[in-house]
Amino acid sequence: MEPIIQFSHSWEEEFLKRIQNDGPWAKPELFQLAYEAESARLVPSFHGLIAPNQLPDLNLHPHQIETARTVIEDMHGKAILADEVGLGKTIEAGLIIKEYMIRGLVKKVLILVPASLVLQWVSELNGKFSIPAVPQRKTYVWSQCDVVVSSIDTAKRDPHRSLVLEQNYDLVIIDEAHKLKNHKTKNYQFVQLLKKKFCLLLTATPIQNRLSEIFYLVSLLKPGYLGDQASFSQNYQKGNRSVKNEEKLKELVNQVMVRNRRIDTKLQWPKRIITSLDITFSKEEQEFYEALSNLKDVGLIQGFSLLTLQREACSSREAAFQTLSKIYKKTISPHYERLWHLLFAKLNAVQRNAKAEKALELIRQINDKVIIFTEYRASQLYLQWYLKKNDISSVPFNGGFKRNKKDWMRALFQNHVQVLIATEAGGEGINLQFASHMINYDLPWNPMRIEQRIGRIHRLGQENDVHIYNFAIRDTVESHILNLLYNKINLFEQVIGELDTILGRIDLNDVDREVSRIFEESESSGELKIKLDNLSSVINSARKQFEEGKTDAASGDL
Amino acid sequence: MQQAAIYNYLSRFFSASGCALQADSHTGQLKVKLTEEMDQMLMNRPFYWHYIKQTGGIAETATLDFRTHTRGDQAELIYFGAPRLHQIFNVAEKMGTFIRLFQNLPEDAPAALEPWIGLNMKISYQCDLKRDRICSVGLQLINGTLIEGFEEMLSGLKLIPKMPDYLYTLSPLITVPSGIKRITAFIERELINEPTDWANEAGQRWLRDQALLDAFYEQQDTKPECYFQEKEALKEQYQPRISIQLINAGLFYLRSASFLPG
Repeated sequence: MEPIIQFSHSWEEEFLKRIQNDGPWAKPELFQLAYEAESARLVPSFHGLIAPNQLPDLNLHPHQIETARTVIEDMHGKAILADEVGLGKTIEAGLIIKEYMIRGLVKKVLILVPASLVLQWVSELNGKFSIPAVPQRKTYVWSQCDVVVSSIDTAKRDPHRSLVLEQNYDLVIIDEAHKLKNHKTKNYQFVQLLKKKFCLLLTATPIQNRLSEIFYLVSLLKPGYLGDQASFSQNYQKGNRSVKNEEKLKELVNQVMVRNRRIDTKLQWPKRIITSLDITFSKEEQEFYEALSNLKDVGLIQGFSLLTLQREACSSREAAFQTLSKIYKKTISPHYERLWHLLFAKLNAVQRNAKAEKALELIRQINDKVIIFTEYRASQLYLQWYLKKNDISSVPFNGGFKRNKKDWMRALFQNHVQVLIATEAGGEGINLQFASHMINYDLPWNPMRIEQRIGRIHRLGQENDVHIYNFAIRDTVESHILNLLYNKINLFEQVIGELDTILGRIDLNDVDREVSRIFEESESSGELKIKLDNLSSVINSARKQFEEGKTDAASGDL
Repeated sequence: MQQAAIYNYLSRFFSASGCALQADSHTGQLKVKLTEEMDQMLMNRPFYWHYIKQTGGIAETATLDFRTHTRGDQAELIYFGAPRLHQIFNVAEKMGTFIRLFQNLPEDAPAALEPWIGLNMKISYQCDLKRDRICSVGLQLINGTLIEGFEEMLSGLKLIPKMPDYLYTLSPLITVPSGIKRITAFIERELINEPTDWANEAGQRWLRDQALLDAFYEQQDTKPECYFQEKEALKEQYQPRISIQLINAGLFYLRSASFLPG
């Protein structure tokens, strides 16, 4: 193919003018320095990466460099980056942007991320890569700035929408791209309309439920690459979850998707050391806990609410109190007054919190930074108060905090404070790898949430072994969960990122919903035990299948 | 560029641009008091300069502290990827674009100097990948002699900005615009005769992706907007092009036969 040859002539007039006017002329040394500057910046080869040498402060891992090279040279700048959680997808994306910018192939970049991550992306690109990224704040930013980070929800809304669609982007990056799995959504159609030369889709879970998800992701990048919808289902789909011609599909997908796994990176990952602590209620706590079932016995609440109350009571009486007083106000009647009176008396009698005491003891013993996760705001407040009373400094961390506040809390924790008490992993976006101790003060019923919690500290950059302490109160709903679900499926020892694949394989979209159904519907503790046992074996057998499959399938995750 | 080369570059740049410089090659430290011109080019504070101009005040130019050794104090570390260094490169290119130089010769040499133009060009080969090379060409404006690697040859000569008193220059027979045309025609001929494997491969990638796209929308008689947009994007991505840009250019007066071997 004949390349188009383009000479720039814009300088000629100026040169002739200087000759005519006899100057002004450059100093010889500056003429020489200009030539040297351009020689130093020359891109000598189509192949290889230049950017790593220009980023001396950045500790890049071999798999990150290789990923950037593969995306640019083999995938021609259109790729799904699907590394497992914690391997540095943001770093890979930054490296790719930087390489393209140095080569002069990319100038205008649009980065669409969840709203809570906008400032984090901006600060990583500026701080780690010297890429002048700006957050979208004013409408003029779309046309005036070269590298813009925005949330997709802002970008797709007027008045932004039409401005964004006018721009010719050299590179569009979409973080958490699994949210684009449905082609009927406004978000999907918006991304489809963006003018983009190169495109990166970032996701740790390219397939969550349905095979068609990978079809729609790939079709955003390269329409037609997997055929059209009809031919795709015909060639590869067997029901929603099963695949036919798996090898062929894997081969195709692997040419547009990079998926690094912890196992393959050959990095020395710190170990996870799990300690499950069986804690005994104080006498008063035990009595309060047991009295809760009276509410169900007299028909004031259903099984599900009892379960909620019991879980809360395992966390703190403060957590249970809020739900209790709500139920009380809703069902107020002289008939039940005595029952409520007794219950609140039992609640008031609780003066000690067995878990908080255990936590305090542990924190003193660890004598280092500790993260406590609890499901409840009320327990979080209580813990803060309790630790303060015992001369331990702590900061709160909630998913609902604004980005600035999150950063501030994180910095306080890193530099000044021993304990961070979080109610919500925020799932996406806070990295705490400078701490290596985590207390699961209460346990979520969805194992994925635990994985996200642990992922906050067990990630690239963690230099120590990671210690996880799981709290569960003996002979309560909690100990059932811990013993029968978590311990049976060895959840905590699981390699990060595999769990999502495993859960994706079985028909358990919502493990937590499944678990609470089991609790609600079980009449006796014997039945409960059997049902939870069954659930664990289902998960375990899915994992076995997964592990057998893993040996012959290097990547792809189909 | 290694750290020592960067140190060397910085000290030459700031001396050449007339800034007061305290440099210590041993510690890799440079302290620079900027001139007004350099302050305006490097410090990005137009409001300050506007204010000084309006009020007739006395400007206080900035002092910059650089270091090229990774260990050290508060001074700004300059490494090859540092934005500051690239800013300085850009200023150097801006200030070093056009030049006129005369060859300085011993008094007993023949007194006539021949006019040349020299162009330093950057040639970029671009598809979805990219590479560059530099092409430096000189053209003698009397007989049309053309030399590649001109910049390198010049570096062996002693050149000065002012014409030595005992020398004189010969008048060109070829005008500068037509000289430029000859050089660009020469480069173009050279480019056309180069192997085009890289462009052929990009063309194949383009065709392949275009065929996929056509198949994807095959069933639709009236193609949607995204079809045309995607088609245009593929062109942007793969269309092989070679662009030629000027780095700098000069008018040179040189002794005849300066470039003969020996």
